[in-house]
Amino acid sequence: MKIIVCLKQVPETNNVKIDPVTHNLQRNGISGVINSFDVNAIEAALELKDRYGAEVVALTMGPPDYEKTLRLAMAMGANEGVLLSSRGFAGADTLATATVLAAAVNKIGGADLILFGRQAVDADTGQVGPLVAEKLDLPQYTYVSKLNLSSDGQIDAVRMLDGGTVRVNGDLPAVATVRSELNEPRYATPRNIKLSFKKDIVVYDEKDLDLDDSEIGQAGSPTIVTKVYTPTATPKVTETLEGSAKEAAQNLLTKLSEKSIL
Amino acid sequence: MSEIWIYVENHFNRVDPSSLQLITKAKEIANGRQVTAVILEDHDQDFENTVKQYGPNQILLVKNDNLKNASDETITNVLVDLAQEQKPDTILFGATVTGRSLAPRIQGRLKTGLTADCLDLRFDDDLLVATKPSYGDNIMCEITCPKNKPQMATVRPNTFEAVVDGSSEPKINEVEVTVDVDPRVTVSDEQGSVSNTRSIGTAKRIIALGRGAQSESIIKKANELAGKIGAIVAVSRPLTDLPEFSHEQQIGQSGNTVAPDLIINLGISGAVQYVVGIQNAKTVVSVNTDPKAPIFDVSQYKYVGDAEAFLDGLIENV
Ligand SMILES: Cc1cc2nc3c(=O)[nH]c(=O)nc-3n(C[C@H](O)[C@H](O)[C@H](O)COP(=O)(O)OP(=O)(O)OC[C@H]3O[C@@H](n4cnc5c(N)ncnc54)[C@H](O)[C@@H]3O)c2cc1C
Ligand SMILES: Cc1cc2nc3c(=O)[nH]c(=O)nc-3n(C[C@H](O)[C@H](O)[C@H](O)COP(=O)(O)OP(=O)(O)OC[C@H]3O[C@@H](n4cnc5c(N)ncnc54)[C@H](O)[C@@H]3O)c2cc1C
Repeated sequence: MKIIVCLKQVPETNNVKIDPVTHNLQRNGISGVINSFDVNAIEAALELKDRYGAEVVALTMGPPDYEKTLRLAMAMGANEGVLLSSRGFAGADTLATATVLAAAVNKIGGADLILFGRQAVDADTGQVGPLVAEKLDLPQYTYVSKLNLSSDGQIDAVRMLDGGTVRVNGDLPAVATVRSELNEPRYATPRNIKLSFKKDIVVYDEKDLDLDDSEIGQAGSPTIVTKVYTPTATPKVTETLEGSAKEAAQNLLTKLSEKSIL
Repeated sequence: MSEIWIYVENHFNRVDPSSLQLITKAKEIANGRQVTAVILEDHDQDFENTVKQYGPNQILLVKNDNLKNASDETITNVLVDLAQEQKPDTILFGATVTGRSLAPRIQGRLKTGLTADCLDLRFDDDLLVATKPSYGDNIMCEITCPKNKPQMATVRPNTFEAVVDGSSEPKINEVEVTVDVDPRVTVSDEQGSVSNTRSIGTAKRIIALGRGAQSESIIKKANELAGKIGAIVAVSRPLTDLPEFSHEQQIGQSGNTVAPDLIINLGISGAVQYVVGIQNAKTVVSVNTDPKAPIFDVSQYKYVGDAEAFLDGLIENV
């Protein structure tokens, strides 16, 4: 059994500012960390490694410092790390990102299961998993809170909906995107951390993946960000409820009923 | 004529409110474009009866028993065939779990752009300009898709209000299509959660509990007050670890967006990930022992003090 886990590195904080002159996001100086949901994806893969001896490959597209995220995955127990890095990949929207990831999955020789986090916490689209599934013509199991694979090539999952759940099952190979409810990720062990630094990371660019310049990066991206701004929150006027808890509660009820809110 | 399509999502034999909200919004920005609600259902279902009350110009209806419990793959097959034949200018989905799963799959097959989880939509001439939040709603961006068609977006539920509009009878265009069922996937019946989150998303009154209000007696009292005023009890993320609550009641970035007329926050600090979930609430009341709690910055009424004592005061006097 072979599992590929796709990982994104995101800014450590969502408290990013806009450069008042260039109107670009100021991301310099903010260090990168692994997208939190992707840690659940790694854990899901490692549970399959524990159970079936699955081989786990961590895959990421990004600048060279994304190596850090691959090392973390290997320190948790992934067998291998593959970095997709090239200037040509920069500025990719979700479609162009998925094109590169799908090509890399093929280059690695495919897998029984390709795992994703439910969404990246920065750009927050959740689109890359379903897009890769579509590009590889694989079934998708998105937003899963339960996931079981059997040795005879079946997948059985529970997808968490907004107001319920639904069981989905079928044949492998498949793509799954995981929710944090799926599992409690393990910590890296000192032994694995040490081992992870002995492993080589394979790096591919567009030539290795046999991709045309028009399919990748900005050129391969149909969407364009035309404006970036900080939302101006309309400041709410806050009224303090004075007195004892009882008085304050009474006071609130009066005000709410005056305004026909209650 | 150029068309805006809205994919009509359904769960538990009901049209998802996000689809109806999108119909109202699409009509508001249509400026001469035709608003088409696209319904895929089996022969026992009649979602068109609900949808037509909201006044789309047209309903594109596919009735086929293979659409019962259809997988994302099967729905994609049908929608892509329809879109390739009829060439809508724009396709919109609710940014629900279902919408966020289907839309990118369709985007991939149509090789076009998709903007996620939008908070606003408008047309600048022919271009759909979608406003998308990112970095936990700290940054907004406007995104367009100038070269590819259709233009696609998913839109955050409960951002717009659905308004009934009986001014004209929509044309119902029922089409026969072959439904290519993907044989690789089996979808079972949906199971509702004990307390339907839909009711959190659409609740008019919410009592929200955080880490400063998580004792058993507070939870009991909050439920009592909720019963009295017709509210629903919701929680911040840490409380989803308690046996009484689950993700279904969680408000926030990784939970649910709510838009009640009234929300009372008890013992919630007001982390950005929580606050983004309540920004569409009309009246916000917060109780916290910490006078500097950030939740007060987004509240109309604040009380600095103990949550349980305040709750007692409310129950006694309501
Ligand atoms: C402010 C902002 C807004 C944006 N809005 C949009 C938009 O609306 N539409 C659009 O098409 N693009 C958008 N983009 C571009 C988008 O962020 C990139 O395409 C990004 O590479 C992937 O999208 P995501 O971050 O939303 O990931 P998601 O789709 O949310 O990620 C889901 C999962 O996919 C995997 N994954 C994601 N990226 C990688 C990667 N580089 N390597 C390996 N695995 C990965 C991870 O498992 C992750 O958990 C936006 C970018 C910015 C900066
Ligand atoms: C990627 C990501 C996604 C997240 N998504 C979400 C999300 O969707 N929803 C969410 O809620 N959080 C989310 N979080 C977590 C979030 O950052 C906060 O940790 C969380 O909201 C804090 O919950 P809280 O306000 O209940 O607890 P705390 O921050 O611990 O606040 C408790 C408050 O109670 C007050 N208090 C204590 N005792 C009393 C008393 N007796 N009476 C009154 N007040 C009292 C304290 O002063 C304090 O302000 C997310 C975090 C990350 C990193």
